[in-house]
Amino acid sequence: MTDEFRSVRLPQVLCEQAERWLQGRFETLEALITFVLQEITNNEGSRLDQQEEEMVQQRLRDLGYI
Amino acid sequence: MTSRKKKWFSSGSAIWGTSRSGDSLTHPRSMQARSSVLVTVDCLRADRLGFRGYSRPLAPFLDALAQQSIVFSSAVAAGAPTYFSFPAIMASRYPLSLGREVVGVAPGEPTIATVLQESGYETGAFLAGNPYLTARLGYAQGFGQFSDFLHLADARAGSVKFSASPGFSRFNRALERLSNRTKLTAAAYNELYFRYCQWRSGRERLSMDQLRRYPAANVVVDAACDWLKERSGRPFFLWIHLMDPHHPYYPPPEAMESLGMSHITPKYARFLNSVWNRGDLSPRRLQRYRKEVMALYDAGVHWVDRQLARLVEFLKAHNQWDDTVFLVTADHGEEFLEHGNRYHSPVGLAEQLIRVPILIHAPGSSAARVTDTFSLIHLAPTLLEGLGVEIPHSFRGRALWNDLSTGKLPGSPAIVECVESCNNQFSAADRCGNRLMVVLDGDHKLVLRFREQSDSLYDLARDPEERRPLPDTVETKNRARLLECARDYLRYEREHRDQALALRARLRELRHHVVLKSAPVEADKTTIETAEHG
Repeated sequence: MTDEFRSVRLPQVLCEQAERWLQGRFETLEALITFVLQEITNNEGSRLDQQEEEMVQQRLRDLGYI
Repeated sequence: MTSRKKKWFSSGSAIWGTSRSGDSLTHPRSMQARSSVLVTVDCLRADRLGFRGYSRPLAPFLDALAQQSIVFSSAVAAGAPTYFSFPAIMASRYPLSLGREVVGVAPGEPTIATVLQESGYETGAFLAGNPYLTARLGYAQGFGQFSDFLHLADARAGSVKFSASPGFSRFNRALERLSNRTKLTAAAYNELYFRYCQWRSGRERLSMDQLRRYPAANVVVDAACDWLKERSGRPFFLWIHLMDPHHPYYPPPEAMESLGMSHITPKYARFLNSVWNRGDLSPRRLQRYRKEVMALYDAGVHWVDRQLARLVEFLKAHNQWDDTVFLVTADHGEEFLEHGNRYHSPVGLAEQLIRVPILIHAPGSSAARVTDTFSLIHLAPTLLEGLGVEIPHSFRGRALWNDLSTGKLPGSPAIVECVESCNNQFSAADRCGNRLMVVLDGDHKLVLRFREQSDSLYDLARDPEERRPLPDTVETKNRARLLECARDYLRYEREHRDQALALRARLRELRHHVVLKSAPVEADKTTIETAEHG
């Protein structure tokens, strides 16, 4: 994805809880956090929302209403 | 141009969320009820009930009750199938408002049940095994008792699995690959394989009760009555969801006998369901089975009617009927090849799919017929208004209880939406496709297919079967008006999305997938009938 990284500060207790939870699912806490952030920043749906609104706007233009 | 735009925008804003008069708590004068029963019937077409004009007396109980109730002759779902309809029914939220990635009701999202529970109601839900109406998808929120009967539905699905030896499966797959070289050999293979499956399944001699995938209405109503017996006297909210009209269609023998269908054996019903499910047959070839398949569906509706009669008898016997708002509706309808489609896949949002019945029996309210368009998005706020309970700000529909007795509603277009061809909302690829949307205003219906970048306008008064889309040169003002509604709706929803709720719902789904490492519903290639739900 990228070679550049940055550090974030998370509560120690939370990290330990997450590390217990991720066993067998993710290799590291960083892998878990990266996966979650990738998933929730996926904007495919929002892109479609915008595109669909523009399609209707264009249709109105084509019909001469705006 | 500017003035027209302003006019329609103001119309739009009245629809998309700013219309409730100050979101104030209202207490209808004639209302005496404290409790409420909401019955949702999966796949129940509006036109199957006598009070909506069906000539066959399938539902004598509901038809008689309709004489003393408020009934709607132009009610529509806000989405179809189940997973696109229920956010509107329970949370008065349009199906894609939180984003198309969101499945179910979001954690913490206000629903009829959460509001009533917070208001001191005892709450119970008894749902006949629909995998999209589960605790995991947020539908248990607000319910003290939540029974989704999924254990029964899963066990039943397992009982009709067709299993073959590994050797046979390998041989079969090789044969299928070979047959796919030409259309003719592929068709021959499909026919032979279908007949083989019929021969295999015919040896099992299963009863209708064993073949049915979902608990029948009597099982769910029994559980609901048991729960009602234990009430402490506080007002209650009971939600019952029935699956009897859902495919595969295996109605109880008593229902078939009552409708004079005893000649249809379980073996023949299995054949009908299997042939109806075939993806390789053209609508023309399926047509010959349509009448018999519809008869099975009708028997499911009849069974629902008989069980609802029993439920009402129970409420009367326990002195609860005169204190209860009783509401019956459906999440969506069902198609029987009217437009070449079967079941309730979101491929066209045809009238048969989006029209739903609504019947409201409320103590102290006189019978009325509401002819104006009523979207299920308004159901939750309307019910809460009827019960005199405060309506959450997140509800997008209007509270129309006080308008119902007049039979006239404030006119506004209805929006119906879904993700086109999304047959499994648990699949991220399926749910992130293009929107399919309907804007319905009186007799005018605009269907927007974003995948094809096309729209079709129908005049339902002249063309009730939606056979003749109007050309662009006809009714251009109406087309533009509905397009403007669509644009305003899309814009409003995008700009007013509750991002916190959306994030919570997405994290819930993510956690589930990480824990299970697989989608919960997968097509099982070895079943004779597919297990599509919705």
